Amino acid sequence: LWLREHRWHQTPTAVFLSLPLRGARATPANIFCSERYLKVSIPPFLFEAILYAPIDDTNSTAKIGNGNIFFTLYKKEPAMWDSLTLENADKEKLQYLRENAVLKAQQKAKEETEAKKATKEEHKKYALEATMKLEEAERKRIEDLKEKERQKVTEELELWKNQQKDADKYKSIQKEGELHQEIGQLNERKSEKMTKTRIPNEGTSKTRPKPTKGHGSSSIFSPNAKEEQLPAPRSAATIKVNFTPRVFPTALRESRVAEEEEWVHKQAEARRTISADLSELEDLKEEEKNPDWLKDKGNKMFAMGNYLAAVNAYNLAVRLNNKLPLLYLNRAACHLKLRNLHKAIEDSSKALELLTPPVPDNKDARVKGYVRRGTAFCQLELYTEGLQDYEAALKIDPKNKNIEKDAEKIRHLIQGTMQGS
Amino acid sequence: MSAAPGLERPQVVSHAHQALNYTVFDCKWVPRSARLLCLGSAARGTGLIQLYELRGARLELLREIEKPKPIKCGTFGATSLQQRYLATGDFDGNLNIWNLEAPEIPVYSVKGHKEIINSIDGVGGLGIGEGAPEIVTGSRDGTVKVWDPRQKDTPVANMEPVQGESKRDCWTVAFGNAYNQEERVVCGGYDNGDIKLFDLKTMSLRWETNIKNGVCSVEFDRKDINMNKLVATSLEGKFHVFDMRTQHPTKGFASVSEKAQKSTIWQVRHLPQNRDIFMTSGGSGSLHLWKYEYPAQRSRKDSEGAEMGVAGSVSLLQNVTLSTQPISSLDWSPDKKGLCVCGAFDQTVRVLIVTKLNKI
Repeated sequence: LWLREHRWHQTPTAVFLSLPLRGARATPANIFCSERYLKVSIPPFLFEAILYAPIDDTNSTAKIGNGNIFFTLYKKEPAMWDSLTLENADKEKLQYLRENAVLKAQQKAKEETEAKKATKEEHKKYALEATMKLEEAERKRIEDLKEKERQKVTEELELWKNQQKDADKYKSIQKEGELHQEIGQLNERKSEKMTKTRIPNEGTSKTRPKPTKGHGSSSIFSPNAKEEQLPAPRSAATIKVNFTPRVFPTALRESRVAEEEEWVHKQAEARRTISADLSELEDLKEEEKNPDWLKDKGNKMFAMGNYLAAVNAYNLAVRLNNKLPLLYLNRAACHLKLRNLHKAIEDSSKALELLTPPVPDNKDARVKGYVRRGTAFCQLELYTEGLQDYEAALKIDPKNKNIEKDAEKIRHLIQGTMQGS
Repeated sequence: MSAAPGLERPQVVSHAHQALNYTVFDCKWVPRSARLLCLGSAARGTGLIQLYELRGARLELLREIEKPKPIKCGTFGATSLQQRYLATGDFDGNLNIWNLEAPEIPVYSVKGHKEIINSIDGVGGLGIGEGAPEIVTGSRDGTVKVWDPRQKDTPVANMEPVQGESKRDCWTVAFGNAYNQEERVVCGGYDNGDIKLFDLKTMSLRWETNIKNGVCSVEFDRKDINMNKLVATSLEGKFHVFDMRTQHPTKGFASVSEKAQKSTIWQVRHLPQNRDIFMTSGGSGSLHLWKYEYPAQRSRKDSEGAEMGVAGSVSLLQNVTLSTQPISSLDWSPDKKGLCVCGAFDQTVRVLIVTKLNKI
């Protein structure tokens, strides 16, 4: 519904427009105004006017009250308008103007928000700077305190230094005289006593007349106490010491924790695995299913000289648990006695394989492994391989005389065969 | 350094510092002067001795002496105040005593050890203590040797491992108990944590213990008195203070230990003017200033009636971080209370002043 009952009058600079609202309530949101376009839209009522000439829309006002809106529009150019609106505007122009107005209004809104943002930023910055200044001030205060301390201390130092220099100069001049006297005395005493330790060269040399670089300064003690009667040099002696052994040679530098852990794990594993092939072992007694018991049995047989029985015991034990290196080692020993040299080599090799990683724990076992394999090789007349194994054993246990002797023997043998051929 | 409430505590003020172009291993004050020496190793593998003077807030280089082998440590401890000869140990195991006025030829020289001399100490000089001046050196070859500058070529005492025994590096040595002409004691610290106390009068091992971690530095609180306290610092941030007045026949000396920094404690140095204050320097570039408090009773009787020492307690007075690299050497000036110099592996030497030590 178009609102057409409006009244207006104008002055050269302003236009006053009064618009009655037929009972409708108006709020500022209903009024839309731009440079050339004015619209009041209170559904279902609508008033719009394309203004004759541009107005200053920022300064113009609208007063809502008493059932009508009173517009005060300030003209951009002071001139008298023929009429409020453009009468003979065609539709297109109207449309264009309307759109333009809307766009302009939007732009204005955007600019306003941006301006607001900018001011907010500025305020923030200002606040930040203020806090920074405060903190700076605090820091400076502390710095100043420290500086004062420092300066005080520096001054004291300088004072002390100058005192030193003066004291030095004074004392050195004094000293000169004293030293000359001392030398006289010392020389006398020297000639008296025949047996005297070598007088240290303090009293006799170096009486500089003036301190060259301040080096020739004095001692606060009188020269007497020091320059004569120093005890003779100590008679030389040696004190032997032992060092506390360390489980790890140095704190973690050369430690072999990782390897030792591995070995312990392996042993634990080996104990736990028992072969599942128990079908034919059902007729065995309880104790005969225990690899350790079987190993002991085997050892006893070996000691008694019953090597075949020992081998049997070890075989059974291996079937039950093939991860225990000691079984292979002992079986190798049996084979050696039985002159089954290839089997001996096999078993020693298997044992050595199981004895990785090499740690102090399994040292003895490894030595045995190498020695047995070496023996087997030698008995097969493979002397070089044998020597290799003996040397490996020697490396692990360098203090073992037997191994050394045997290694020597093998070396001679090798040299002998080489010479012979 | 802390602010207002802590301003009554001693403050460590940095007075001067000097950037060097070589690795400095040891720094020492020249006695009775405001000069200091820096000993180290240049990049080309030669040794350097530099003499600086403290002028205002700067260090001014007075003299530079170059030697064929890098120098690890030095001491003025065994020389008289007139002469002020410097004894140095170098990377090759040579012990040399130099007259800094004429440094071309050493006053005394001996190839004392087969490997690098890690630590050196002197006693009997500088008007402190009694008895003959002697120098002790500890080396990586596991031996600790005592030298008398009047005797050429052979040491007057030699503490070496038993034949056939695997040797452990000796990292530090210190003299102590030199209160009359006969008594003297040498303490050696080794890399497996052993601390051994050798009595030079009876030429025997007086006491030994093991503190589990390699011992980086040992020092008696005073060399020239009846031995009172011994501080031993080690790897992994721990140091032990032993009360040396009472030796129990089996338990040895009582001790208190403190874990200060997460890294190695490289050096401990007692304040020459107050034997209960000492400074430790750490691998994290920090310095800690400690005070030892004595217990109410220094010894008590144990169940069998033997005298046993009682260790006191240690409190931290101040700590400061100066560098990111370890501070490997530290020396208090014997003439000015609170003045100290420290050298770090970041190739700087710093002069520091510790204030308010009078009020402790």
